[in-house]
Amino acid sequence: MADLERLAVSTRPDPDLVGMLADLFEAYRSTRPAPTERVEFDPALWAHLDELGLTRLTASESSGGSGASWVEGAALLGLAAAAGAPVPLAEHGVLGAWLLEEAGLPNDGALRTVCRPDPSGRALNVTFARDAAAIVALWEDGDCWRVADVPTERTRLTERRNLAGEPCDTVQFELADLEAAPLVADTVGHQFHLRGALARSAQVCGAMERVLEVVLTHAREREQFGRPIGKFQAIQHLVADIATESSLARAATDTAVARAATTNWQDPGMLFTVGVAKSCVGHAASVVVRNAHQVLGAIGTTLEHELHVLTKPILVRRSEYGSVHEWDETLAELAASAGRDRLWPLILTGRR
Amino acid sequence: MAREPRPPVVPPVVVEGETLRRLREEVREFLAEQIEAGRFTPHVDTWLTRWDRDFTRDLAQRGWLGMVIPTEYGGQGRTYLERFVVTEELLVVGAPVAAHWVAERQIGPSLLRYGTEGQKRHFLPRISRGDIVFGIGMSEPDSGSDLASVRTRAERVDGGWRLSGTKVWTSGAHEADAFFALARSAPLDPAHRHQGLSQFIVDLHASGVEIRPIISMGGDHHFNEVHLDGVLIPDDRVLGAIGEGWQQVTSELGFERSGPERYLSTFQLLAAAAEAMEEGSLPLDPGLGRHVARVAALHQMSFAVSTALEAHADADTAAAAVKVLGTTTEGDIADYVDTLTASGWIEDEELYTLLHAAILQRPGFTLRGGTNEILRGVIARGLGLR
Repeated sequence: MADLERLAVSTRPDPDLVGMLADLFEAYRSTRPAPTERVEFDPALWAHLDELGLTRLTASESSGGSGASWVEGAALLGLAAAAGAPVPLAEHGVLGAWLLEEAGLPNDGALRTVCRPDPSGRALNVTFARDAAAIVALWEDGDCWRVADVPTERTRLTERRNLAGEPCDTVQFELADLEAAPLVADTVGHQFHLRGALARSAQVCGAMERVLEVVLTHAREREQFGRPIGKFQAIQHLVADIATESSLARAATDTAVARAATTNWQDPGMLFTVGVAKSCVGHAASVVVRNAHQVLGAIGTTLEHELHVLTKPILVRRSEYGSVHEWDETLAELAASAGRDRLWPLILTGRR
Repeated sequence: MAREPRPPVVPPVVVEGETLRRLREEVREFLAEQIEAGRFTPHVDTWLTRWDRDFTRDLAQRGWLGMVIPTEYGGQGRTYLERFVVTEELLVVGAPVAAHWVAERQIGPSLLRYGTEGQKRHFLPRISRGDIVFGIGMSEPDSGSDLASVRTRAERVDGGWRLSGTKVWTSGAHEADAFFALARSAPLDPAHRHQGLSQFIVDLHASGVEIRPIISMGGDHHFNEVHLDGVLIPDDRVLGAIGEGWQQVTSELGFERSGPERYLSTFQLLAAAAEAMEEGSLPLDPGLGRHVARVAALHQMSFAVSTALEAHADADTAAAAVKVLGTTTEGDIADYVDTLTASGWIEDEELYTLLHAAILQRPGFTLRGGTNEILRGVIARGLGLR
């Protein structure tokens, strides 16, 4: 095995942490109220996660975080998404805390969300903005980037909801609040997009894996024509495609997470690698959502059923931090410019 | 307590270590020289369609044949992961690897596992040098997906067995020296269909062997019918145990199904299309990115399965998943490039050659080595539905 280690390096998350998270979110899922049309932030769950040091799992310890790697961070995002947990772990813990650190701003640990306002100071689709104490804004100021930590009460909110019924507000900042904010390194703007895209990929993977479990349970328990529907080949093939597509998305996402963790996002191949994850996740989502609803039948389309608690966020998150189409275009440009002889090295390393 | 979570369908990804990266560079450099020297023209599906015994021997001299065969049997004594890397590099440039494909992938490992000491000493050094070329004889005219229904008979005779029957789709049998034949050595018991099957090492130059071509729809000759008319198989050419044929042929399926040949058969076409988009002879299109992403993820998935197999973990379901996704993707690449091109447009003759070959080979991708319909059933079984 020592020999194997020299050939191939495993980057699995700490199994104790994963076991603890699996128990925690399983307990949450089994006790949460029935699904409703509107999804609201869960302050009790958030307080519990905060006590356990999970709300800022990947932030540095010096800034009040838990100092875990992206490997652990992605595991947390995936398991939380699998439980449909209505908490902004990606926005607050992965992206917001990181931006504040980059800007050298203090982090008091109060609930935050993130956004990238346009030149007029307006940001769309800001998840859980109405619930956050402050909003971390990444703002492009000419050819440099600034990070502002703005109390929500200093902004003007227009409450909206996304496809999944989650708070997803329009935020109007005072330009003065953004203009006065500290500068950050040039790379932060680009990296924010990549980190957001990979966080979303990890969430969608977790949710798709839970969809597979829901589908398997239904296929074993639901009987028609005198036998469980999972005994029919047509159903088996729909389920097999859910399993294969979500496995492909998982392989792509974990590869990007491993590369991010081992190089602290410094690898120039991150754009391609994250793009591969986002593309595979996005296309997998089409198959997984379609086939799951097909296997579940009419019951899966009802408000009371768990399935839409997973499928709606899957579709929302695959389109955030770049649509599937945009990421496919980015990859196409990278592949075309690599050309015939450099396409394979690009695929292996992400670098041209 | 939470329920024990079901293990993932595909083992977790692993990152290639430094040893493998260096090996890739070494192989890549050699192949670039070979292409530069005009030794071969990159093509699609070369593990079936491009046969070059001299090239195979050159690989042997470099130490890239018989890779997982121990040195005491003339092999390289390396790992499946090192073989994986060499295989990928050969396939992405479309090198002519068909002559040694079956021996390197299946025959060597099967001999190591089930062969007698005498068989190992005889065959493994020859395989490692590229001096003997093997085929595989499983399918029959009435046995495609339902392999247990094979009707080739093995009759006990003094000092051995006599084989009679017909094998089909035997790739390269007209060029090969020997093949493994699966035959019924005991009458079919409908209640235990997987019993009574045995594997035999058949000399394809022996008397009673007749090889007839099966011409593919593009006019090429890769497949054959192999007629066995009472071919005498001496006792020392029985592979493994009589009656254990089914277990023997199914035990190595993980390697057969999850390897890089399941997603790289059309890689040269994908690479040529990328180049054509850069040059402007094809429109730059996001579909290229989508297919490149899938190939990249399939590489990771396949490597993860190989790592699990190297560690002797069970990976049948994962291997089936790689094959379903990979063979669909490599076929979709052919169709995708076809949708971008206008009929009769021959500005880029090389691209067209690759495209037409890929379109003609494509139907076979999702058939050979277990159809995707059978494999989805394997996955469903792994998920507990069957």
